[in-house]
Amino acid sequence: MSTNKPMPIATSISAPFWDGLKAGKILMQHCGACEKWTFYPRRHCSHCLSSEVEFREVTGAGTLYTYTVARIPTLPEFAGPEPQLLAVVELDEGVRVNTTLVGLKEDEIKIGMRVKPVRARVSADGTVLLRFTGADVDLVEIDEVLKQPEAPVADADAKSVRQVPLTDDAALQSLVSEDYSPWSNQLLVDQAMINQFAELSGDKYWIHTDPERARKEGPFGGTIAHGALVQVLTSKLNVDLGFEITGFTNMVNYGSQRLRFPSPVPAGSLIHSRGRVKSIEKVRSGTQMVLELNIHVVGQERPAVINDLIILYM
Amino acid sequence: MGWKGEAAIVGAAQYKPQKYSEAPQMFHLEQVADLAQQALADAGLQASDLDGLVINGPHFHEASVFVPAMAAEYLGIAVNFAEVVDLGGTTPVGMVWRAAAAIEMGLCQAVLCVLPMRMAPFGRDEDPSAMARAMRFGGHSTAFGAPEAEFDLPYGHLGQNTGYAMIAKRYAAQYGYDERAMAKIAVDQRTNALANPNAIFHGQPLTIEDVLNSRMVADPLRVLEIVMPVAGGAAVIVASKEVAARARNRGARITGFGERLGYKSPTYSPDMTETPVGPAARRAFEMAGLKPSDMNAAQIYDCYTITVLLSLEDAGFCPKGEGMRFVLENDLTWKGNFPLNTHGGQLSFGQAGSAGGFSQIIEAFDQIRGKAGERQLKNCDRVFVSGTGGVMSEQGALILEGA
Repeated sequence: MSTNKPMPIATSISAPFWDGLKAGKILMQHCGACEKWTFYPRRHCSHCLSSEVEFREVTGAGTLYTYTVARIPTLPEFAGPEPQLLAVVELDEGVRVNTTLVGLKEDEIKIGMRVKPVRARVSADGTVLLRFTGADVDLVEIDEVLKQPEAPVADADAKSVRQVPLTDDAALQSLVSEDYSPWSNQLLVDQAMINQFAELSGDKYWIHTDPERARKEGPFGGTIAHGALVQVLTSKLNVDLGFEITGFTNMVNYGSQRLRFPSPVPAGSLIHSRGRVKSIEKVRSGTQMVLELNIHVVGQERPAVINDLIILYM
Repeated sequence: MGWKGEAAIVGAAQYKPQKYSEAPQMFHLEQVADLAQQALADAGLQASDLDGLVINGPHFHEASVFVPAMAAEYLGIAVNFAEVVDLGGTTPVGMVWRAAAAIEMGLCQAVLCVLPMRMAPFGRDEDPSAMARAMRFGGHSTAFGAPEAEFDLPYGHLGQNTGYAMIAKRYAAQYGYDERAMAKIAVDQRTNALANPNAIFHGQPLTIEDVLNSRMVADPLRVLEIVMPVAGGAAVIVASKEVAARARNRGARITGFGERLGYKSPTYSPDMTETPVGPAARRAFEMAGLKPSDMNAAQIYDCYTITVLLSLEDAGFCPKGEGMRFVLENDLTWKGNFPLNTHGGQLSFGQAGSAGGFSQIIEAFDQIRGKAGERQLKNCDRVFVSGTGGVMSEQGALILEGA
């Protein structure tokens, strides 16, 4: 989910359809010559090529013709907490529409089920897309414009985590794991945050700071966050590793053994993080833990940042 | 139909499929010349014999317009018939019948049909972003006013996987679905690839369990039911009866063909499970005066397992709705009773862009001329070939018969 997702650009032919959606109406073209319906909007009827087509309001009620669950996002920007539920709906007027389903669990979806329209506000400029849900689901419109999630509040009665004394070698080694921790809280990386970082760091390259140029000339359909920005945002992502090292006098961030930015974070993406202990060993100056902290765009399998952080306990 | 069907494929060349990272980078013009030279040598013909050229317009690296003239100039040939074909995966099928038709009309005698699909070297002034932008949307148009830019892409409807998955889901709701039958298509074709040293998955056996345990990409399609893109390219030479008589090989005559398209997104088809290969194949069989049961082999375009299943049904090899049973009840390998995609299919051979469909045509030619090596069919005079472009939105069919 990001602001780099492709958006419809209305033409003089289709404008009534998009304007209708914004005003809460579903307008489809009806042909005065053959009495059939046409979708998507055209200058001519898609059945008889007559130009006697006019927009008429329809209810949007229909049946689910087919669907699939995209286990791999069809574009990185479509990654989200839930996989895309791509669908084709056949309206009662006989026309079919490419759409997505909302408000339904995977096991509630059945081809042939009755569906109804949901107006989805998808961008700050008011663009509305026509999504669908089950006929008996209580949902008429949704706001999909991403907002900054509430910051997690420090929990005074935090459940007691496993205390691991620095002196207990066996316990320390038991922390090393191939499995990652649960996901952290989520954070929205928006253009304002990227701009702030550009100011601070002096890296004002257009691919980060100029949405218009990045959309036209860049490879990602819009601006992306600086890799360095996403890397430092780790401080805002609370990863619960499930343990606490005790019995040290000092703990320092000794840098990174490996730092990679394998995939971009488009402006407007939600990110989250997870981690695991990769290794723990005694070194001359103390005990060194390598903590792999990976930051992902929510729903993306490929990390945006891989950081093998070296923490030195003394 | 008054179709004589004398023009024949007499020579072919095909790059061994390779990973993009391992394949040599060559200019497309360079590949055209290289493939032409190899195909001519295979046919035992000279460059001066060529008087027709069919080439790709889309994805041609060194030009987006005037492609045939540029290629003819580079090859040093003059032609009486030049054509670009823009039919996605069914481009090779479309090229071959157009060449045969031009020959039968008397326009030309020997036509080079060529699709260069290796990557071209990257120039100093080329914009890597432009390529990344093009890759982002694949075969979809983002142009202002393009219906898909407005009504598909914003909803995430893009790429091929989910489109084919939705067709499979619809099929399942109407006719039922047996994932083991679908997996068997990939497995039998892999058995064929084990007998084809040029296949990208040669030497890597596959079981039904492997397919069923592979990652779900878009329900119900798993990753081992989806074709792997490779670098490659291919060419064939279609020649008149007179030129074919001078050629080295037994020719594969084009005795029937058909083509059908009516939409880009199958959402707008009258019925998603009735695919365009139906009318295309009926026309091809009618032209040839043959029926599906007359075929010694079927080389069916296989970007996905579901493509094969629907093509088997709609081309008339089994009744509608019985494809799953047909697949389970027949041995689809080169050793079996219904030899299908005997080179491994693109699923196991690799898909070199729009040249992928040439692998099916060239395999049919190789089987007919008796040069299919270990997987050679004992008796192979008549082969059905299909092509598929887009999301089963444009399809074609050929009937090839030994001369």
